[in-house]
Amino acid sequence: MQVYEAPLRDMKFVLHELHTDDGFGNLEALEEFTPDLVDAVLEEAAKVAQEVLLPLNRSGDIEGCTLENGVVRTPKGFKEAYDMFREGGWCALASDPEWGGQGLPETVNKLTEEMICSANLSFSLYPGLTHGATTAIEGYASDALKQAYLPKMVEGTWSGTMCLTEPHCGTDLGLLRTKAVPQGDDSYKISGAKIFISAGEHDLTENIIHLVLARLPDADEGVKGISLFLVPKFLPREDGTPGPSNGVSVAAIEHKMGLKASATCQLNFDESIGWLVGKPGKGMEAMFKMMNTERVSVGIQGLGVGEAAYQSAVWYAKERVQGRSLSGVKNPKGPADPIIVHPDVRRMLMTARAYNEGSRAVGAWVSRALDAEKHATDPAVKARAEDFIALMTPVVKALFTDCGYESANLAVQVYGGHGYIAESGVEQFVRDARIAMIYEGTNGIQALDLVGRKMPAHAGRYLRAFFHPVSDFIAANKEDATFGKMIEGLEKAFGALQLSTGTIAQKGMKDPEEAGAAATDYLRLLGLVAMGYTFAKAALIAKARLDEGTGEAAFYTAKIGTAQFFFDRLLPQATAAFLAIKSGKASMMALDADMF
Amino acid sequence: MSDTIIKKVCVIGAGTMGAGIAAQVANAGVPVLLLDIVPKDATNRNVVAEGAVAKMLKTEPAPFMSKSAARLVETGNIEDHLEKVAECDWVIEAVIERLDIKQGLYAKLEAVKREGTAVSSNTSTIPLANLVEGRSDAFKRDFLITHFFNPPRYMRLMEIVTGADTDAAVAAKVEQFADVSLGKTVVKAKDTPGFIANRIGTYWIQLGLNAAFDMGIPVELADAIAGKPMGVPKTGVFGLVDLVGIDLMPHLQASLTSTLPAGDLYHGIARDIPLINKMIGEGYTGRKGKGGFYRLNKEMGRRKETIDLATGEYRETIKVAGPRGAAARGDLKALVESQGEIGAYAWAVLGDTLAYAASLVPSAADDVVAVDDAMKLGYNWKAGPFEMIDKLGAKYLAERLAAEGKAVPEILTVAGERPLYRIENGKRQFLGLDGAYRDVVRPEGVMRLADVKLSSKPIIRNASAALWDIGDGVVCLEFTGKMNALDGEVMKLIGQAIPLVAAQYKALVVYNDADTFSAGANLGLALFAVNIAAWSEIEKLVAGGQLAYKGLKYAPFPVVGAPAGMALGGGCEILLHCDAIQAHAELYCGLVECGVGLVPGWGGNGEMIERWRNAPGMPKGPMPAVAKVFEMVSTAQVSKSAQQAREMMILRGDDGITMNRDRLLHDAKQKALSLVEGYTPPEAPEFRLPGAGGRTALGLAVEGFHKRGMATDYDVVVSGVLADVLTGGGEFDLVDTVSEGELLKLERDAFMGRLRDARSVARVEHMLETGKPLRN
Repeated sequence: MQVYEAPLRDMKFVLHELHTDDGFGNLEALEEFTPDLVDAVLEEAAKVAQEVLLPLNRSGDIEGCTLENGVVRTPKGFKEAYDMFREGGWCALASDPEWGGQGLPETVNKLTEEMICSANLSFSLYPGLTHGATTAIEGYASDALKQAYLPKMVEGTWSGTMCLTEPHCGTDLGLLRTKAVPQGDDSYKISGAKIFISAGEHDLTENIIHLVLARLPDADEGVKGISLFLVPKFLPREDGTPGPSNGVSVAAIEHKMGLKASATCQLNFDESIGWLVGKPGKGMEAMFKMMNTERVSVGIQGLGVGEAAYQSAVWYAKERVQGRSLSGVKNPKGPADPIIVHPDVRRMLMTARAYNEGSRAVGAWVSRALDAEKHATDPAVKARAEDFIALMTPVVKALFTDCGYESANLAVQVYGGHGYIAESGVEQFVRDARIAMIYEGTNGIQALDLVGRKMPAHAGRYLRAFFHPVSDFIAANKEDATFGKMIEGLEKAFGALQLSTGTIAQKGMKDPEEAGAAATDYLRLLGLVAMGYTFAKAALIAKARLDEGTGEAAFYTAKIGTAQFFFDRLLPQATAAFLAIKSGKASMMALDADMF
Repeated sequence: MSDTIIKKVCVIGAGTMGAGIAAQVANAGVPVLLLDIVPKDATNRNVVAEGAVAKMLKTEPAPFMSKSAARLVETGNIEDHLEKVAECDWVIEAVIERLDIKQGLYAKLEAVKREGTAVSSNTSTIPLANLVEGRSDAFKRDFLITHFFNPPRYMRLMEIVTGADTDAAVAAKVEQFADVSLGKTVVKAKDTPGFIANRIGTYWIQLGLNAAFDMGIPVELADAIAGKPMGVPKTGVFGLVDLVGIDLMPHLQASLTSTLPAGDLYHGIARDIPLINKMIGEGYTGRKGKGGFYRLNKEMGRRKETIDLATGEYRETIKVAGPRGAAARGDLKALVESQGEIGAYAWAVLGDTLAYAASLVPSAADDVVAVDDAMKLGYNWKAGPFEMIDKLGAKYLAERLAAEGKAVPEILTVAGERPLYRIENGKRQFLGLDGAYRDVVRPEGVMRLADVKLSSKPIIRNASAALWDIGDGVVCLEFTGKMNALDGEVMKLIGQAIPLVAAQYKALVVYNDADTFSAGANLGLALFAVNIAAWSEIEKLVAGGQLAYKGLKYAPFPVVGAPAGMALGGGCEILLHCDAIQAHAELYCGLVECGVGLVPGWGGNGEMIERWRNAPGMPKGPMPAVAKVFEMVSTAQVSKSAQQAREMMILRGDDGITMNRDRLLHDAKQKALSLVEGYTPPEAPEFRLPGAGGRTALGLAVEGFHKRGMATDYDVVVSGVLADVLTGGGEFDLVDTVSEGELLKLERDAFMGRLRDARSVARVEHMLETGKPLRN
């Protein structure tokens, strides 16, 4: 059974307790969002997620989206849910007040995103993509376009998409063929075929605003010749209502492994009118602005599904009785003990739990940087926030989605044979979580971004924003009476990370293939250290709270327990990653292609 | 007959060239008489020459290597002081390019000069035969052309042209002096218009202009093609014309058109370009005028603008997509075969330039080596025309020229499928017109490590350094990293080298062929280590460097440092640990660590204190030496010549200066060998440092600078840390004896402390990203 109750206590912990000393500060611009206010927002979001979105998750998966006569229908209940969601102001939560948004801090927004993703990943894509599209328009479009489109998009009356992929190109966008022909005024006619367009067509909003990558007639080859265009499904009239159709049609919707309630469309643009967003030839820049925001959000998707899968597994592990505990009967009244007594079931539950809490803690740290990037007044803080985001974006995206998928898989395993049956609802988590490791740049691409771009940039400056706080923390706490041993473990993993960083930077400069061969293991290693750091911090804080006797003993005790589990059972992966990195590319590349 | 040694020189004509030549003679430590005319109604009859010297003392880059050099210039005028020519062994005429004036001057000179005193003209356009018309045979024997390039201190080329009557001994005397004392590479040219470098250079420029106008190539694109990708300075053709002055072009053209024989290919390309005439007419003569093909538009917020060749109007400078891939990285064939206008323009300029250069052997130059040397040293081309032909393939060039119906120069036919240069038995050889290869012969005493490399393998090498056997028991330590930066690998190799040299060789020279001896510690690597908080690794690197340098200092064999160009920070510190230095005259040396928020960490502090303590005439007590070192290091002072490095006590009394870059290795090797007999390593010094009192005094000085706005807040912090080290770090006082090891520890701790300060890191980062210091 799909069980979900928003982990509000842990969310408040990462929001109010864990990162207060991270140097990103308390931002004046966000002062109006008092703890009471944001807690109230989180509680309301939890209600929407639990009561409105969760019930549609499995039914939406079963029914899927349908295409009839060029019209895409979302599953039953989605339209009503979306209307409620929009009317409740949830679409506009993190958007700029200038365009009708509520300007909520990212720290809070990312937590509400997590809840929505836990409850219904398919649903989350509709408002999610709109938010991404508004980011690009805000950053790069002309004032006229902003005025015409942003208010409707921010309130959620119109939705957005990003149209990158074409049948012959995904990762390598330099190959794309969609054309944009100038019309003499400031508009262009866009023609071409796009595939894999999430929310490309649906019945939730009155208009859909596509951001389309296309090539101008005289453009250079490769990515430098790509420009970004805004192409509405319906051309808006003077009064702002949707007008005539603009030549955008749906050729098909994809039949996918999961995420079935999200319409993934093949779109044809047939001389559709569009307007340039940003400068000619700078389409990738604008698209990356949007993509980077999206990448963090996709990481949160992984966490969201991981959390729902974990909770569903815990529910089952307590319900399902089977066999007896190895340390003696625990449920004498019943025919057997609940399976949560078994160490191997614990292993699975604790692993998922630790990944979720670790991801949430690291995610909150990155969210604080997102807020500082936007609102910090001290340029040094702002710069450090930018560096930190640049470094951590690929880590958040790949690590969280890898962990989320692992957690979903573990949940199926906890259910045993029942997990493999659709009625259990947990196999859906596996299918849904799988896409997050692929879209918005596969996790392999994220790892390459980390070692190829982020690591060497400015002689490793981005790394500083992460390595220094960790190094300082270790130096300050390794003598800690209670957690000294734990922090020693962190120090070891951090040392492995430093050494790997140096090795990759050096080897990779001479031979990019070496960096490529190390990339995925390196990203994992950095991610594990990041989680280890936040867990060690959390344990110290929890201990202090327990010593103060705040009365939330169960939460803090569990926090320390989870942290200890992470250090005992998950951080050792760091050693494996380190050894794999050290061995270099040789065996990876040894076989000739025709030996495969 | 003439003396074989030149002890005094006279330069007549105190314009830019004459004055610059006089300065370079003075830089060589040779007295020089600089004469010019007496202007009408002048109260000071020497005003022209005196004014030229005064102006040179303010010019950057400086013509003089030191103030003491300037004092070797004696000024005068040709009306009152011409008889002083009798004191001189060489008279260089550098007056206006007018035959009548030059001839008139020679007539007067003939009356006052000693026989055997060489007279040379710095003309770039007038044939030698015309110059000596009407002079006696004796004068003709002493006469030749010596063509310097501007600026004379920095451009290494000198073309020598001798006439049929020139006495070989006189020419040899001048050549020897130009080579050894003035540091020039002498290229022998024939008495043909433009000699070698300007003849080819002008042809190349004209082709570059013509092709851009004809093909409608924007200026930026033209310079992006006929610039760096061709291995010529990145200014390209248009940028170079802006630099030398657009108004010079019609003069050059007129001079060459009137003197080159009919049938010379130049006549086919020389043409009037209306836009250029218009620009000159309106005062757009290049950088010295209102602007040139490029300009900064101050009315539009210093907007960078470029002229549109079609309309003649300025427009905003555009970013162009120049050559890519191999074509951008020196593969000339890929360049001329690039698609579209890039390949077309590259071929139009390069193909004909190389063909023209090839046609000048033997009419303008004896051999291909002379042509290549002339272009490399006179126009700063990375490779000479014939070296470029080898990159392209002589056969490829010949076939492509033939296919276009153009004449194929004889040397290309002779070469066929063979290269113009080859390596045979470890020697570089060039192809002659007779089809035979001959060794490239360098003058006695000229030695490059590149020559050694042709015939041997390094004794040991790693990623950042190598050790070479340079003969006679001497070993050369070469840095090989980017900018010859110093890192752990260099230190490791030094550690390996010391026992090896001690066991099997006699002496070590620290030298490399590069333009930069060493830019100092590899800051990029250090910054990366800082960024990943690898503190213990960094400290190991600092300690390892100290150990390696002290190892060199106390090694049981002599070590000679032979720097040329920049030797900064750690690159300076290694020199301070050598037994002797033989420096190239162009030495830019100093302890610049404070500029990036650090302090010297590889033993530089102690070595500099020791040098100043032993300097002649230093007052007693620990403070004077420390104050000198503090002043120099805290301001990150860098010498602008070896002479200045001597004033800074980086060079000591016995250390030598070599004027000719190509002779540096040989001179350093000789110096090392001279130290071998009876060599004993130096004894470790013991220091007395001024302690707290001295620290206060240095602090007050810095405070003064700070108050006057000459030192930033963080400068005060950094120099405070430096003052701590130099005065004993608060641990030692006036009465204590401080060992070398203790001082090294102070220095190391201070270095690590700065590296952990975000403000120092910001300085390092800024330096790496912009190449400029951050004044935070």
